[in-house]
Amino acid sequence: MNNVHQIPTRLLHILLVLALTVFGGFPIYWMATTALSLNSELYNSGQVPWPQLANLPSMIAELAQLPLMRWLMNTSIVAVGTTVLSLVLGALAGYSLSRFKFHGKGILGFLMFMTQVVPEALILVPLYAMFITLGLLNSLFGLVLANVGFSLPVAAFIIKGAIDAVPYEIEESAVIDNCPRISVLTMIILPIIAPSMAAAAVISFFAGWNEYLFAATFLMDRDLWPASVGLASFVGQYETPLSAVMAAALIFSLPAVVFFLLIQRKIVAGITAGAVKG
Amino acid sequence: MPQITMKGVSKNFGDVTVIPQFDASIDDGEFLVLLGPSGCGKSTLLRMIAGLTGITSGTLGFDGEDVNEWTPSRRGVAFVFQSYALYPHMTVRENIAFPLLMDAFRKWHHIPLVSSVMRWKLMRRPDIVERTNQIAEQLELTPLMNRRPASLSGGQRQRVALARSLVRDPSLYLLDEPLSNLDAKLRTQMRSEISTLHQRVRKTFVYVTHDQVEAMTMATKIIVMNRGEIQQIGTPDEIYEHPANTFVARFVGAPPMNLLPVRQQGQQLTLEAGATFTHPGQLPADKELILGLRPERLRLQPAEQPGIPVEVSVVEKLGAEVILGCRVLHPGGGQSGDLLRQDLVFVRISGNPHVAIGTRASLGYDAAGVNWYSPQTGKALHPAAAPLLSCSA
Ligand SMILES: Nc1ncnc2c1ncn2[C@@H]1O[C@H](COP(=O)(O)OP(=O)(O)OP(=O)(O)O)[C@@H](O)[C@H]1O
Ligand SMILES: [Mg+2]
Repeated sequence: MNNVHQIPTRLLHILLVLALTVFGGFPIYWMATTALSLNSELYNSGQVPWPQLANLPSMIAELAQLPLMRWLMNTSIVAVGTTVLSLVLGALAGYSLSRFKFHGKGILGFLMFMTQVVPEALILVPLYAMFITLGLLNSLFGLVLANVGFSLPVAAFIIKGAIDAVPYEIEESAVIDNCPRISVLTMIILPIIAPSMAAAAVISFFAGWNEYLFAATFLMDRDLWPASVGLASFVGQYETPLSAVMAAALIFSLPAVVFFLLIQRKIVAGITAGAVKG
Repeated sequence: MPQITMKGVSKNFGDVTVIPQFDASIDDGEFLVLLGPSGCGKSTLLRMIAGLTGITSGTLGFDGEDVNEWTPSRRGVAFVFQSYALYPHMTVRENIAFPLLMDAFRKWHHIPLVSSVMRWKLMRRPDIVERTNQIAEQLELTPLMNRRPASLSGGQRQRVALARSLVRDPSLYLLDEPLSNLDAKLRTQMRSEISTLHQRVRKTFVYVTHDQVEAMTMATKIIVMNRGEIQQIGTPDEIYEHPANTFVARFVGAPPMNLLPVRQQGQQLTLEAGATFTHPGQLPADKELILGLRPERLRLQPAEQPGIPVEVSVVEKLGAEVILGCRVLHPGGGQSGDLLRQDLVFVRISGNPHVAIGTRASLGYDAAGVNWYSPQTGKALHPAAAPLLSCSA
């Protein structure tokens, strides 16, 4: 009885997932085939729509000439730095916003929201001037700070929202058990809101990983470039070595995918945990 | 160990006054039960003693010292929350051991990351392991030690909450309805566990409940509250035998005390319904009175004998006893007018006698079992000849 109904539904599910996979996966597939094509093909006879594995050695040789490792390293420093700083400060800010009463709380929330309304490009020049004065120009740390300026408010709001949902009594119980405020936060609250922390981590990590505008403006040294700026530097006035760019881009996205897969479990676990909580 | 004194303690939430004025003292080693209907401020009072909620005015003292400004941890209390407040990300074992870990922590152990390492280490310290296991065994939690609160039933969670608060050695135990979610058997068992614990540790317990059986069986002293105000302070016997006012008389006891408005003429009492009977003892001076009689103080006798004329209209057989609900009869012989509005007079008879519905009878009682109340104030009145015999508060 049930099975008769289930078969078409299942089929529909499979078709839908398949369609989504093709839709989402095609650009990646195209990246891979482009990476395995010869530039001459790309610019003259048109692209072969399947990966030409025969070109793998030449692609690797081409990649070997780029400072890929250096760029990836820089990107990682920026992304991890942005994530760690956003989470640490975001946890403290989110906790205060959720639990303490203080003057100007409304204004503060509004200003934090405004940071998301203002486009990056708008504050690029003022920020540049400020960074000159502070000596933060041409440093990865400065870049991290600039990124945190944008990702921290988001992280803080996500964390505040999550802490709002944690009952006061749990915290009070810890206080009675002789637990100081800092440990209430690190040992009780943060583990409880781990799924939201993970969500905040994903957002700030990718903000740092993908960021281009600030990096291109604030970093002069080639050695400090993150991958986003490095890749863009290939886009030449006359010719762009498309296959190399695509190959590098592919490598560039791998760590991000791994990071997401690692943390995505946490987020999904959080969603289901909420569903059955009694 | 502290003697707790509350002087003029009051609590407002914004413009809402939850506790107008509270004066009481709790002796060292007392098992005090706060009894009252839902929303009367029991939890609020308990939270003020623990320091979780600020006091609007008045002073709270431990051994005479003003502790209004003390932090909860400085007060050294254990607290069982009405909502359990278990740590959802920790296993039962970690929940129970948490207070022990915190006691064993030095200041620098609270540095993030260091705290994780220290917790891991302390969870394996023999004395902590042993203490945790011992309390878990006492509360029958041993098979659940590695589960998380989300996978426990309400009663199991409640026992974990109890275990977590009992695992330490505080000077004051504050329990907010710790047994409300247990089944009858476990509740009885836990009741005696807690009573035994109290006997053994001889610490002060403040126990909130609206279950009178808990109050009666466990308390050395009861405070009955209503709308944030003290109705009566006394031992369980005093509260039961001599309620200070009609609220306490109705609130304590199941079925509650029978309260019959009467008018006195000499030794003759006339009920609202018109029935008249002779009171077998001393009467207070007032003309209008409320006659208070516990159901077990009433005797069912043949209709010819002197007493309150009634007709049995409800019979509840409880096995060891029978509860009768009776309607007072008119002098003419019929039932009094408005059937629905008239309260039943309850009679408790031990044993298992057969009483048919519709039986006409007379209810007799002894003067010693009577409590008098003023219809105007609801307060207890006392017959002139036996002054203050039943005074308690
Ligand atoms: N934080 C608060 N803000 C405003 N009003 C509150 C607050 N906490 C409690 N109250 C009010 O105070 C009154 C007493 O609450 P309390 O929790 O002390 O009742 P209780 O006697 O414990 O009731 P119950 O038996 O249902 O637990 C209630 O009317 C409640 O609405
Ligand atoms: Mg309560």
